[in-house]
Amino acid sequence: MSGLAFENVTVRFGSTAAVDDVTLTVPDGEVLGLVGESGSGKSTLARAAVGLVPVQGGRIVLDGEPIDVRHGRRPLQMVFQDPYSSLDPRMTIGASIAEILPRHLKRAARADEVARLLELVHLDPARAEAYPLQLSGGQRQRVAIARALAGRPEVLIADEITSALDVSIQGSILNLVRELQAELGLSMLFISHNLAVVRYVASRVAVMHRGRIVEEGPALDVLADPQDPYTRELLAAIPGRIPTSTDNQRSTP
Amino acid sequence: MRSLRRILRTPLGIAAISLLALVLLTAIFAPILWGAQADAVDTDNILAGPSLEHPIGTDGLGRDLLLRTVVATRLSVVLALVATLVAVTAGLILGVAPFLLGRAGKVFTWLVGIAVAFPALLLALFFAVIFGTGWVGATWAIGLAGAPTFARLCQTLVAGIAERDFVSAARIGGVGRFRVLFRHVLPNIGEPLIVNATIGAGGALLSFAGLSFLGLGVQPPEYDWGRLMMDGLSGVYLNPLAALAPGVAVVIAGLAFNLTGEAAARSLGIGSVGVMSKLAALQPRRVAEASPPAPDEVLAVRDLHVTFPGGAGPITPVRGVDFTLRRGEVVGIVGESGSGKSLTALAIAQLIEEPGRVDAETLRFLGTDLRDGDHRRLLGTSLAMVFQDPMTSFNPAKRMGGQLAEVATQHHGMTRRQARARAVDRLAAVRIPDAEQRARQYPHEFSGGMRQRAMIGMGLMGSPKLIIADEPTTAVDVTVQRQVLSLLQAIRDQDEVAILFISHDVSVIAELCDRVLVMYAGRIVEDLPVAQLDQAQHPYTRALLAAVPDMQTDLDAPLATVPGRPVDPAHVPPGCAFAARCPLADAHCRVEDPQLVTSAPGARVACWHAGEPLPDPIAAPARDIEGTTQTGPTTRTSPTTRTSGVQVVV
Repeated sequence: MSGLAFENVTVRFGSTAAVDDVTLTVPDGEVLGLVGESGSGKSTLARAAVGLVPVQGGRIVLDGEPIDVRHGRRPLQMVFQDPYSSLDPRMTIGASIAEILPRHLKRAARADEVARLLELVHLDPARAEAYPLQLSGGQRQRVAIARALAGRPEVLIADEITSALDVSIQGSILNLVRELQAELGLSMLFISHNLAVVRYVASRVAVMHRGRIVEEGPALDVLADPQDPYTRELLAAIPGRIPTSTDNQRSTP
Repeated sequence: MRSLRRILRTPLGIAAISLLALVLLTAIFAPILWGAQADAVDTDNILAGPSLEHPIGTDGLGRDLLLRTVVATRLSVVLALVATLVAVTAGLILGVAPFLLGRAGKVFTWLVGIAVAFPALLLALFFAVIFGTGWVGATWAIGLAGAPTFARLCQTLVAGIAERDFVSAARIGGVGRFRVLFRHVLPNIGEPLIVNATIGAGGALLSFAGLSFLGLGVQPPEYDWGRLMMDGLSGVYLNPLAALAPGVAVVIAGLAFNLTGEAAARSLGIGSVGVMSKLAALQPRRVAEASPPAPDEVLAVRDLHVTFPGGAGPITPVRGVDFTLRRGEVVGIVGESGSGKSLTALAIAQLIEEPGRVDAETLRFLGTDLRDGDHRRLLGTSLAMVFQDPMTSFNPAKRMGGQLAEVATQHHGMTRRQARARAVDRLAAVRIPDAEQRARQYPHEFSGGMRQRAMIGMGLMGSPKLIIADEPTTAVDVTVQRQVLSLLQAIRDQDEVAILFISHDVSVIAELCDRVLVMYAGRIVEDLPVAQLDQAQHPYTRALLAAVPDMQTDLDAPLATVPGRPVDPAHVPPGCAFAARCPLADAHCRVEDPQLVTSAPGARVACWHAGEPLPDPIAAPARDIEGTTQTGPTTRTSPTTRTSGVQVVV
């Protein structure tokens, strides 16, 4: 089976199971949105996939094979929630990105690749020498995305990547995610507690509650016709729709 | 180099660095200049007392003691530095071992934990006996004795950095542990290590003098300060200076190292010094109160400013906020981070701490002027504050019931029994099940949502007339958010409490509030009833509304975004602060700041182009739409950016 698959994965901290027997697939070339409240285990699942927390049961496979991390290859890359903590303050953003590039690249090729990646996330390649301190939160998150892409991942894991950003900037990061996905055909595990955000970027949605997946399916189906009571509760709790400026223009020409 | 300059900015730093320079220069040049003279034997002047020729006398071979003390600087300082080097190296190796070895490295954590428990001097003596007398043995002894402290410091610092996301990101990217250590961890812990090594060198100097004094350190014919003290001690009743002078030298050199370390630590920790005086020179604004209070007014704020001292002059993150709250009214403040919305709330609650300063033409709560005097009692009983993170707002070591009851015994003069009963009653009022039992539990036994409700319950111990809720739902999930919102609504309906609700999320405010104040760069740019949000006049409000995806957002179109970046409170541009990001801005906007004026009954807006139609979003790829410091000021004012206000990236 192609794509990233979790097969009966269990992660325990002490006696409590943060992730409890989870089976889930991120299909090739699709974005799977993972939603749930904080403490539901969604971030732990992501950290287990990239090897930051040990798995106690089950296995995580990529295209049917255990994930191969030899020779410095890392087919899974992750973008973190807080762009203020995910970039080394003492390294230029160019150096941060170059660090993740495959080892065999020559010096000139590395510089070209860094420029290309910055371009890809709509940052000026001339800014490769800038330090994180000189960038805004949204710009830092773009750098973090470029760095993840530098590892040439088969699957990108995005863990709450917009929740630390201001509302006015969230939109541009979400647009970037959709654009990159369409352009590069990336598979993505997109974690968020915000259903409206997940609805906007994901083709499939999985709902996690107390370490278990309670519902999974095509995004529009799950959101339009939720089967699990917890999913219904989540949907009911979303604040009502607010009038937008486009409505305004339409109603008062 | 820059940090050295920062150290030199303080009197302590200047004194420390000059003293250290004096000691180091002496160590380098004294043996060259006076080395031979200090060894010159003069059998005519054995054990002489102080004289003009020999200011502190001579030793058993008639050698001048002052010169010997000065010349001994080199050996004393060099040995102390070598010992420090041993301590730092051993400490670093032990300190980074847990990081490099993963689980197996835990052994090193335990070992260091045990070693730290022994006093360093005891360890030094222990090692000195093992390594034997002589300066080589003493150096190892003192170095190894100092290692556990450094190792512990290293382990703590490394553990702090290792938890940061950038270390995780590097490891996910396939960067090896050694490379991560040298590229990410060590550069980020360098400063505190250097500071502590400098202070450690002072300690090593003292220990060395001690070992030599006991005869375990430097052996004749070499001599250091400890050795000189030991020799001088035998004749201390005849010539006390012979023992005291090297002692004074130890104190001076030790101080030089310690003070330099302290000065460095201070200048690295605390940013700019000397700004306090600048702020003190600011004249507080005091204007006589003008308007009389309306009958149902709860809170009146007129021309509120909050000012903090900054490196380049005062920074004013809140620049003239005006609004009133009536009984039972729920008003939301929305804005980006840095817009001044939280500071406005803190200023009202009198929670802005020194060196920050609050100025207002009117700041009136329930008819009382809050600008002067102590209103803790009024605020304690009639104002309730709910913060974003309920975990940090409760004392983790006290039971919930007791913490709530404390409010009532403090402010309402209730007995403990009455207060406890009230606490249980209030917990029940905020819909906490089994309130009686829950009151006996500790904060960590409550879920996030329950803690947030308990926090509101704490505010309800009195009978508040105003609840200020600062981002109370930002850290919680949608389900908990719903509970909190409906609880606040119920409280308002029951007791006609006014609520000031601060959030960065317009949709949450639309759910709860009657009226919304939109803040940008420390000012209110729009004030309108929530029901009229669809008729918002200010381009910023309209952009904010369009930027948030909801469950009806068109999936085929890109999201609208607000170009540029929020205004830095330290660099507020002239004219309208939003002009740089505004699709409607023209030359006038960049020069003159629009005032907040009534635009419709019950609505105010501060914009020269309020309500003008926005240009169509331009569907062109825009690079770096958040603007950059590099290209910011020039491109922001160019006509092309101006027309692409609510911009879209494809």
